[in-house]
Amino acid sequence: MNTDIPILTAIPLLLKFMLVFGMAIYALFAFIMVRQEQLMARVFSGANEPVLRLLALIHLAGVVTAILLAITML
Amino acid sequence: MGLFSDYALRPANVRFETQQTGEIVELALRQHLVVMVPSVLLIGVLVILPLLAWPMLIGTNALPFTIPANYIIVLTFFWYVVAMGFALASFMRWFFNIYLVSNKRIVDIDFVHMLYKMFSATYLSRIEDISYAQSGFLMTMLDYGNVYIQTAGTEKNFEFLNIPHPQSVVDTITRVAALQGAAFNKKHA
Repeated sequence: MNTDIPILTAIPLLLKFMLVFGMAIYALFAFIMVRQEQLMARVFSGANEPVLRLLALIHLAGVVTAILLAITML
Repeated sequence: MGLFSDYALRPANVRFETQQTGEIVELALRQHLVVMVPSVLLIGVLVILPLLAWPMLIGTNALPFTIPANYIIVLTFFWYVVAMGFALASFMRWFFNIYLVSNKRIVDIDFVHMLYKMFSATYLSRIEDISYAQSGFLMTMLDYGNVYIQTAGTEKNFEFLNIPHPQSVVDTITRVAALQGAAFNKKHA
């Protein structure tokens, strides 16, 4: 049954805050991943670490983009 | 050593922390690629799930409210970023979990999760006993298993888990340890 209650328009700010907060926590994890890759590349270097570093940075950029999208679009 | 390589004999361009002058890496190992299968399957589920879930939630009117399009876009984008993060974390855990055999030492680098790493090493001369075990259908078919290295005294024992070609690894360690022992005896004769 779809009664079409505009629930998201009733609590948009709270929902937006919760989403952005969750994404910010996840961004911390993404940053740790970049840092950890740098540390591990010092412990072991086998010529392919730049690929991992690039992927970790792309991931971090993805999280930042998601936060910006959430702030601007929601 | 390649990005997806799990067994490299005398690998080029491999360096590790605390590597000594004249220390050459004879063998570099990671766990067999088959250990990644559960993670790969889970990543597949993470990728497919939004493609199935959104049409089901929206198309069947299962929810008592409508989800605005901008929420769908942002949540889907974030979902795929998280899926990428999971894939990357799983790969890094495999990639940096390394076992090395040099002409002087054996080294075990453990990268258990994002906030925990462990580096252990022992000299080849400290090795007292070495054995390997392969059990089960997959280990036998794909030729991977565990190598157990017992060291002298109270030093930590080493376990190389789920590594490819365990018999060959045991042979290499035995050969390198014998060479190192012979060189030591010659030097001190």
